Amino acid sequence: MKHPVLENRIRFVVWWLVWLFLAAGQALLYYYAYGSFVNISILDAVISLLIYSALALSIWYPFAFINRDKTGPLNLVMNLIITGAISITFWILITRLIIPLLLPGNEDFDAYWSATFPYRIGTGVFIYSLIVLTYYLFMSLTNLSEKKAREAKLESLVKETELRMLRSQINPHFLFNSLNSVSSLTITDPEKARAMVIKLSDFMRYALSRKDEKPVTLRSELENLRLYLDIEKVRFGERLSIEEHIDPGCMETKIPVMLLQPLYENAIKHGVYESTEKVTITTSVSPSDGFIAMTISNNFDPEAASAKGTGTGLSNVSRRLELLYGNRAILKTEKQNCIFTVRIYIPADYAT
Amino acid sequence: MEKIKTVIIEDEAPAREILKHYLKDFPEIEITEECADGFCGLKAISFSKPDLVFLDIQMPRLTGFELIEVMTEKPVIIFTTAYDQFAIKAFELNAIDYLLKPFPKERLRSAVKKAIEKIGKGREEITSPQDLIEKLPGTPSPLNRIVVRKGNAISLIPVDQLKYVEAQDDYVMIHHSTGKALKQQTMKYYEDNLPGTDFVRVHRSYIVKVTEINRIEPYGKDNHIAILKSGERLPVSRAGYKHLKDELNF
Repeated sequence: MKHPVLENRIRFVVWWLVWLFLAAGQALLYYYAYGSFVNISILDAVISLLIYSALALSIWYPFAFINRDKTGPLNLVMNLIITGAISITFWILITRLIIPLLLPGNEDFDAYWSATFPYRIGTGVFIYSLIVLTYYLFMSLTNLSEKKAREAKLESLVKETELRMLRSQINPHFLFNSLNSVSSLTITDPEKARAMVIKLSDFMRYALSRKDEKPVTLRSELENLRLYLDIEKVRFGERLSIEEHIDPGCMETKIPVMLLQPLYENAIKHGVYESTEKVTITTSVSPSDGFIAMTISNNFDPEAASAKGTGTGLSNVSRRLELLYGNRAILKTEKQNCIFTVRIYIPADYAT
Repeated sequence: MEKIKTVIIEDEAPAREILKHYLKDFPEIEITEECADGFCGLKAISFSKPDLVFLDIQMPRLTGFELIEVMTEKPVIIFTTAYDQFAIKAFELNAIDYLLKPFPKERLRSAVKKAIEKIGKGREEITSPQDLIEKLPGTPSPLNRIVVRKGNAISLIPVDQLKYVEAQDDYVMIHHSTGKALKQQTMKYYEDNLPGTDFVRVHRSYIVKVTEINRIEPYGKDNHIAILKSGERLPVSRAGYKHLKDELNF
């Protein structure tokens, strides 16, 4: 742990001001204790507290050492008392040795010293207690702010991890079925196989390279979604058809990367997988009063009793919106006349 | 040499194409029908009585597993799947043959060879489809529909419409909001795969949907009886009463 006084200029100044104040107190006290020798008591106060101050600064190190996590309370108190006793003894000894050197030939000193000796012990204990209290105060404040910083860091880490998990989930079913289609096309239509490999590569590159939560333009997001749907069209042929109604003014709006992907996957899973009829996936985007409204809908086979998913796709999208926009984004779903619709409203001025 | 009649049931056209292409190398195999969904597949199987079926799992209308549940014929089955870790584990545990898409021709060759051996041993040797299903552990997520067959009519009962399941020897009777249907399956299967929070096994022979229960009355010395909203009275065993108590917290 850093030294609380030496590492901070303001605290260093305050530290010495406090000692000055203490010195004034000690000089007055000792003067009145003996009743005379005002010059000796002033000199004594300045010199002895200069010594004590230096001592106090170095007490921090044993103090920090005995206050590590594992020390029990009884041990701690013992350690503090021993440290205090040693410091005070040391302080009195040094003072006793130095002051006579500064007052050559002064005969009053011995009388002064013995008269103030009990006060000196009292001063030593009092100041030692002050130092210990100060250090404890400092320590708990540091712990608190460190704890806060740790918590904040942890929280952002958790959020980041969660966002990453919500973002990068390419359905393995999609990947392997697409590869199977490629394998088949190499025989029946090599040209188309090559086109599909390229599309699949472009799609995977987009999905894999977006590791962070950087917003992308609607244009690039839609380009990527078209790749995805093109690949799916090879698998499903006539069973899948695509429609788009995009307001050109929205093309440069920033949106979270791969936000809509799970919604298309759902449309495929619950629409196309479960139906033998043609399924149309319609995408519409339009501006709406500072927001952009994105709508994705697909028809589904009402006979397919199972078309009830685990809700992972939708809940991932809505959780992600919540993490990114708080309550400024809306996700709504509706099921009507065999058409499933997801509507998303997000602020048009998104920037992270 | 007698040809091996084969049906391909697979919803994606490219996947059917490659399978057909590979199978051209096997002169003994004769593809009698191709289907793009489970219903069509079931019809094809009862119509052409194949020896061998290539069966996709994920398909519209009826999944590969559901098809097997209601199929009465006993062809050799080779499952095809792209990615279904749960199913793959089940297949491995029960030595059921499967192909992971995309697969090389060699892999298909060994599967077909094994199938031909099985077919050569005669139909009696082939595991019946229901036994196959019996061996499969439950579905990873709770069951959400039940497929039943009455003669040639297949229907799918959403689990939401289920009232209770009753044991009848080797069969179970599925009682639902619009009637009842008999199915060859075990009570244990339903106990394991119906959503546990909605269904309770109240008796050796009964699994009931808790929201269908109107009231529970004492019956005899230490038995109870559950009276459903629709009026049926089902016996509740001592263990069943305890299950109900745990589930409903009374």
